Amino acid sequence: MSYSVDISVEAPIENQIQEITYDGTEIYQPPLTISESLAKYAQKIDFSRVSDVDVKKEESNEDSKSDADSKDAFQSSLWPWDGVRNKLRSALQEVCVLADVLAIAKEKRYLVLDPVQQEPLETKPMVQIYARKKALAGNYICNSLTFLKLCIVGAANVLLAGAEKLKTSQNEAARNRTTMDFHIELLRLRQNWRLKKVSNTIIGDLSYRTAGSKYLQTGTFEVTKAEEEEKSSSPPSSPLPGGPAPVKPNSALRVSIPSELQGVAYIEVLCQKDQEDLCSANINLLGSGPPATNPDMHWQQKLEAAQNVLFCKELFNQLAKEAVQLQAPIPHMVVGNQIMATVLPGIQLIIGLCHSTTGDKKQQNPAPSKSDHDHVLEHSLHQLLREVHHKNTHIPFPHPATGPLGPSKKRMIAGPMAADRYELLEMTKTETLLEQIVKQAQHFIMRMRTEYVLDTIAKEIRDPLISSHWNTLNSPTQSCVKINISTHGYDAVCRTPLVIHVGEKSLKCICRDGKVMNMSYEPQELRDLIMCHINQHQILAVQALAKTMGWQALGNSNHLGTGSVEPLGNASSCLLSSPTGDRIIAVRCEPQAGTQVSVAHSPRSDFFPSRLVTERKWEHLGGQFRDVRLDKMEGRNFLHKMELLMASLTSNS
Amino acid sequence: MTSPGSAMDSLSAALKCNIIPNQEYLLQGSVLDQYVEVLLHRLRGLCDNVDSGPESFHDHELCFTLRATNSSGAPMVLPLRVRRALDVSDAPFQLRYVGQQELGDKNRPTVVRSSIDMACSSTIVDFLTELGCRLDFEYIARGPGEGVEPISQSYLVELSVLAPSGQDAIGEDMRVFAEQLRPLVQLEKIDYKRLGSMM
Repeated sequence: MSYSVDISVEAPIENQIQEITYDGTEIYQPPLTISESLAKYAQKIDFSRVSDVDVKKEESNEDSKSDADSKDAFQSSLWPWDGVRNKLRSALQEVCVLADVLAIAKEKRYLVLDPVQQEPLETKPMVQIYARKKALAGNYICNSLTFLKLCIVGAANVLLAGAEKLKTSQNEAARNRTTMDFHIELLRLRQNWRLKKVSNTIIGDLSYRTAGSKYLQTGTFEVTKAEEEEKSSSPPSSPLPGGPAPVKPNSALRVSIPSELQGVAYIEVLCQKDQEDLCSANINLLGSGPPATNPDMHWQQKLEAAQNVLFCKELFNQLAKEAVQLQAPIPHMVVGNQIMATVLPGIQLIIGLCHSTTGDKKQQNPAPSKSDHDHVLEHSLHQLLREVHHKNTHIPFPHPATGPLGPSKKRMIAGPMAADRYELLEMTKTETLLEQIVKQAQHFIMRMRTEYVLDTIAKEIRDPLISSHWNTLNSPTQSCVKINISTHGYDAVCRTPLVIHVGEKSLKCICRDGKVMNMSYEPQELRDLIMCHINQHQILAVQALAKTMGWQALGNSNHLGTGSVEPLGNASSCLLSSPTGDRIIAVRCEPQAGTQVSVAHSPRSDFFPSRLVTERKWEHLGGQFRDVRLDKMEGRNFLHKMELLMASLTSNS
Repeated sequence: MTSPGSAMDSLSAALKCNIIPNQEYLLQGSVLDQYVEVLLHRLRGLCDNVDSGPESFHDHELCFTLRATNSSGAPMVLPLRVRRALDVSDAPFQLRYVGQQELGDKNRPTVVRSSIDMACSSTIVDFLTELGCRLDFEYIARGPGEGVEPISQSYLVELSVLAPSGQDAIGEDMRVFAEQLRPLVQLEKIDYKRLGSMM
């Protein structure tokens, strides 16, 4: 675009004011003579640099000026203003370009002005160059250009200074990594805990309310910035005794926990035999607290500890309420922060809440009961409460979708299936936490007792081997053990399996023949049962062995009516005869006294015809049974001895 | 053996205590098929059952009407709905009566209408037919997922709460929840009368 601009070139008319008199008249400096002004301008010219700029300028203006130069070259001597005219023309071009650039830059669609660091230094010589170039033409135009440029430069400087400040502050923060940035810490806190901003303060919630808890105690904590002075004064008052204080990264934020949630708490469960003196149990539990809480603890640990305290409090509160409301045969007792429930006659379950708030350093003597406390039951308690929470939040979805939300599937079918009043009432009954944990404790005791009985029997009795296999899968209230009674070396001959289901207060035994025996919690009953089965096993094993040896079982009886009355169970017996029939073995097994074996010869060796029995043939009736002294016999166990006996009595004929 | 009289007494006592949910608060909206995933994602963030995820349902609803003329000669129409779950075979059928929209104050944030539903066995269809009800229409509702025969290219979104009468704070809570879903789906109360006059 070409504008036609009228340029008036004139020297500034105004002369500098030299002096203003008191009556207002201004005395001007006398204007410079031509020679003086020429000298002045000449001084401004830097002859060392003018030549470079001239070359550049000529390159850019080559097209426009080449003709003019060639034409005007020989005329330059004739017209003294020619150079001035050329320079003015180039100046006009520059100004037009600059005006275009500024117009485009103002629009900000195709061109944006950004400050570049080197530029402010470069513009100055440019300003000088321009000033020099326009020296002859006058300073007016270049002043406006320089003014514009100076303004842009000033703006750029301001922006750069601001950016520098931000950069230096960030570098400082990066260097001082020991003090974490408050905002980064807050971000981390927010990733783990629920936070909310209420007017000026940041409040957090560490309760289980959103997970389904209905406990009324609030778990709100407050987050504040850690003070600067605290950091410097913490090393002298560090609670860590001796040694070099570890360089702990002090966090930039501080959490304030309500006083009732401070400290560390846990639930302790003990199963113990009846104690005459209940007070001793109290002292044992309350005194044994965990190590002191460090006030310099990181906020994560503090919050987790407080959440645990709240959870334990809720759990204990729930258990205590149930202990008071439930009506057990032997009532439960709640004393202070302990609940005592009777699990089995003579065995009590003690649940205590241990909460240590003070930071006392002295080591407590570990109470002797501390080693007994049952971690499994404690974990169970935690799980039970979490299950209650879970049920509160996870409601079964109704099918179809427009059905009422809330009732369980059973309740939904109760209507169409015509459930009666009794069934509905049964549906409403739920087991309390205390009942559930008492059941688990009962089962635990039963299992221990069963194990003890089986192990004792297995140790005492070597003749039939008693091996027990406990199922790997079991529930907190039911376990199963499979017992095998077998004789060493004769496993394939005879084996007696038994299955015992251990419940909460009873045992159920399924015997070899399919009979089911229900036993109570007394361990003696189980012992008696197993002894009876051992007894039966021996007789069955002897018969099975006889079959393999070729001997014949003449008869057997599981509950023998002859002989003395047994204190435990019944004696059993069997009669075996050799392949040729000339020997008879009688075996009698008693649960308490062991086994007795007698042998008889079929044709009597001591037959003498008497007045009553005269004929010879009566010698085949069988002779007297003579006892075998099993203890003097060779053989690892009873069956082995029997095998040897049978082998020795088998005749070759 | 309790007499039927005492059963009625307990029922009326229950009604008086205001524990039977007999009112439905309803907001409805729709969302295009292509944005359903985004909506589900949003709901997963807002709702509590993050671990189990959204429950799918596949229901078949039959709408019956019982026509009668009352003493003054005006025809009366009683609409009844029977809904069954096609995916869960042992769930009982639901018989539902939905009343007209309650004309309360205009500022109420949700549609409020009386709604009584009860579980029943599968013989309900025969029973209603014997009573004289006629099957008006039926439809299959499925979500989230592909429908048997989609009617349109969008999903119907319903937010409904069954509560005993008088708990109007629920409407406010529902409106706040609907605000959270705002740009994706506009849940608002539909004026059924205008809808009826449009057809």
